[in-house]
This record gives sequence, structure tokens and C-alpha cells, in this order.
Amino acid sequence: MPREYFTAHLTDSRELGVGYRLLTLGGCAALAASRPGQFVMLRGPWGRDPVLPRAYSILSADGERARFLVQRVGRGSNLLADAAVGEPITVLGPLGNGFPEPEASDTVSLLVAGGCGLPPLHLAATRAAEVRRGAQIELLQGTRSSGQLLSPLLDELRARELRLWIATEDGSAGERGLVTQLLQRRLEHLHPGPCRVLACGPTAMLRAVREVARQHGVQCLLSLEAEMACGLGACLGCAVEAPGSGYVHVCSDGPVFDGEEVWP
Amino acid sequence: MSGAPSMEVRAMGLSFNSPVLCASGTFGYGREFAGLCDFSRLGGLVTKGVSLEPRAGNPPPRICETASGMLNSIGLQNVGLAAFIADKLPFLRDCGTRVLVNIFGETPEDYVRCAEGLGGQRGVDALEVNISCPNVEAGGIEFGVEPQMAGELVRQICGATDLPVVVKLTPNVTDIVPIARACVEAGADGLSLINTLKGMAIDARTGRPRLARRFGGLSGPAIKPVALRMVWQVAQAGLGVPVLGIGGICTGEDAAEFLLAGATLVQVGTANFIGPDAAARTAMELERFCDEHWPDLPSVAGLAGRLA
Repeated sequence: MPREYFTAHLTDSRELGVGYRLLTLGGCAALAASRPGQFVMLRGPWGRDPVLPRAYSILSADGERARFLVQRVGRGSNLLADAAVGEPITVLGPLGNGFPEPEASDTVSLLVAGGCGLPPLHLAATRAAEVRRGAQIELLQGTRSSGQLLSPLLDELRARELRLWIATEDGSAGERGLVTQLLQRRLEHLHPGPCRVLACGPTAMLRAVREVARQHGVQCLLSLEAEMACGLGACLGCAVEAPGSGYVHVCSDGPVFDGEEVWP
Repeated sequence: MSGAPSMEVRAMGLSFNSPVLCASGTFGYGREFAGLCDFSRLGGLVTKGVSLEPRAGNPPPRICETASGMLNSIGLQNVGLAAFIADKLPFLRDCGTRVLVNIFGETPEDYVRCAEGLGGQRGVDALEVNISCPNVEAGGIEFGVEPQMAGELVRQICGATDLPVVVKLTPNVTDIVPIARACVEAGADGLSLINTLKGMAIDARTGRPRLARRFGGLSGPAIKPVALRMVWQVAQAGLGVPVLGIGGICTGEDAAEFLLAGATLVQVGTANFIGPDAAARTAMELERFCDEHWPDLPSVAGLAGRLA
């Protein structure tokens, strides 16, 4: 899928739980064949400030329509969250590698989403369910509390043939505890069948997911986030330490990495 | 006059399709932007800085956004001279625009060996020398902050290559003109300015610096007034070599301002991150801008130094 740089328009924007906004862009045919885990750089008509576009995972891409989950964090995300329907948004993408397909069709894919790490896993689950091939998918969503659950997106997945597990730290929805504890139990239950873990979320969670996967001898694929300027491998801003010496870059080597490729 | 002005510019013995180039460090090795930027609209591109040996770069975080700009402390990460020639240059040879290879080093010998290694390589039109690097043989003082040291470095590089040598000047100095003069007297064929301004950003909520190395180079629209002032100062010095103006250029009108200040060519840097077509778009906008606002000029080159 070649990368393209184009102007799309915001066709829908809605609140999705506290601090989250679901944006739908029209004119995104160039993203239709994106792989789950790929991302785009988005920028509104912001003049010269803020200067940089912002990186977002592709939540869905169908025909002309693509959706993105925006968490209000700083200037750029708030500008996107507050953008009016009809506003032009420039899009560069699809970028990055995306999640690889499982090697064996009977492999159970455990998708572990922490907080707003859901979008790439949502797309992975949706695509896998469409392709079917007897794809076995379990999605594990963890948040601090029920208020952070992205319920409309989770409801979309409930309509698919997959198992959905929820963990909240305060026990207000699903099981009380961390999503990694949930992962631990699922891996114990599924042992010794073929499994792999795909995860996206805060760095501390991803490191913990890697530990759990290691303990079970299961491959884990992590979708990372980093501040980046270009998304193209040119600015080299999005470096992450790699084992041995040196760095990998989230935009051009990732954003999906095997757990053993990052963080010595 | 009727019709669009000519965009062609001659400088350093080379012809350029347009006065608008892409700045080092913002356009990778060119290939990253293939299919996203119309190279035929560009005057040329300046590669990511190349050193004799590969460099891993600095620990993250390496970049952060600031008001109308950004700070970077990439640490001059690059693939090194041998891999540049083997893996990066083949694309650049046929990329459809002029290629200036940016080089840097820690010692004069590093620079000289880089310059020698690039001499005679098809596809390299000129060298751009980054002198904003610490000289490890002189206690870590940057080559570019002291006229005599800058001049001596440039003399050695010019003696080691037949390629045109453009020296990229740092703005982090008390007076840029004596340094510019020393570089030209040492044989520089052109001067590009400005490199980034040294800056810092702090996250007051966490009490941490935003960059792992604390300091970074400030670029983007925020630095344009500083860059225009320095380009004008160097152009006014009448050193007899072309000035390549750099600093926050985002539009054709920005480029026109640099030409009016005395630049012969300009480089688009941080704007390449706004969108990958920024430099090609800037070139097209410059053409339209001149046609509309300076209709009597047969060529955009005619803008150079016309500041009232």
C-alpha cells in the first residue's frame, strides 16, 4: 500500500467517554487497504503553530471513510478533538509496518489493549474476523475505571466472533486488577496451545505484557508510541533503545515490534 | 512582463531548477520522500549529515514541539560514509534534482576523509559542511564559533575536494560575519545559514527537561526573524559567494523574504515535517508570488538583495 499525502475532511466527531473523541474522516480511500497497526500523521489548518502533525493509529478504514481515536493530551490533540465537521485535515499514510499475520491458522491471538491503545487492536480484530479462516481472537481491555472504557468501540467488537475480557483497576467493570493479570490467566488457560500476544498501550503496560509473554514462551508483538515529526524515517526523532547498541525508530522500523527487539 | 518568471538560478558553478532546496536533517536521504514530493520542482536537496563512521545518535526523547517550532537533539545519527555511498547514493543519483551531501566530523581529519570519499562520486553535486560540531581536539569547542578554527577547517576541506564546498554556519555566535568571512577566505564556495538555535524546554509538571540531552536545536517558523537578520548581515558583507538562506521557511512568500535579504538559494527545513510536499509547494508558491508581486522581474533570481 503506497503512502499518500492528501487532504481529507472531518465528517463526524463525537465524544467517546471522558477525554476521548472519535473522528471520522471522508476522502480516505488511500487508507482502505491499511494493515492493522499502521498509522497516519494528521494535521488541521493550523497555520504555523503547532507546527507538527500528530501520529494516530488507524482505527478503521473502509472505502472513503477512516476513523481515529483522539485522546485529549496536548495542543495538537485538543485542536483535532475540537475541529468542526467539514474542517480539512491533511493525512499522510498509511505509515509503518503493522501487525504480521499469524503463521498458523489455529494460533490464538490475544489482543491486549491498555487505555486508548485499542484502535490498532480493534482493526486487527475486525480484519481477522472478516477474513475468518477460523481466526481465534481474544481481546483483553484494561483501564483504570469503567469511565475510561471505550464502550461503543467494544460493542462493535462484541458483534464479532471473538472473546472480550475487561479488567479495571478499581473493579468498576469486568475483573478487578490489571490487564496483565488477565493475560496471565488466559495464557495459563490456553497452555500449551499455540498463542501469540499483540499489545498496545502505555509503555509500563507493554513491558509488563512482554514479561508475561516471556514467562509463557509466547511471541509478543508490541505497538509503540513516540513523539515524532515526520512519520517517514527522516527526522529520526522517534528513537527507542534496542538491545545491543543503538536504536530502532517507531515510524520506520515499527510501530509494531517483536518484544525482543526493543528495550534492553 | 507576461508569463511566469524563470525559476532557474546559477550558483557555485551549478544550475538549479529552482532556488528552493530541502535542508539537511529534514529530508532524510531523499528516498524517504519519494512519491510524496515532486523532486523536479526542487532546486536540490541536502542530505542528512554524513560522518566517516556510523553514529547511533542520542537517547530519547530527542524532539519536542515548541511555540511555532521544535527542538531536536538527534545526535547526528547517520549510517556513515561507506553505507551512504553503497546504500543511499544510488537513489540520489537519479532522483531528478541536485544533491548536496552534508558532512560533519569530530576532527578536521574526519571532515577531510569524508570530503575525499565523496569526491568523484557520481550523483554528488556539492558538499555542505556542518561546522556546528565540537572539535574533540580543541576541548570540545565548536568549529563554527571561532573564525580562525572555522577557516582552518574549511581550508583543509577545500584542499581535499574539487566539489563546490558550502559551509553551514551556526547562529550561536556573537557575530556571524567574521566567521563567514574566514570561511570564504579559506575557499568556501557558498554559505548556508542558519543552523538551529540552541534551546531548551522543560516540563514543569514532571520537573524534567523535555529532551534527554537537555539542550536541542530550535528550528521552524519561530527562528525566521533571526535567520533573516543573519542572512542580511552576511549578504551585506559582500563576501562574493552565494548565501543559502535557511530558517523557518514554510511558504513561497517566506522564500521571497530570504531572497530579498540577499540569499541566492533557500532551504526548506522543518516545514518538510508539516507535509512532505512542503518544499515543492514552496517553490511553486514562490513562482506565483513573484509573478503577482514582482511582475517586472524576468527571473526570481532578480529578487536577490532587492531589499529597500
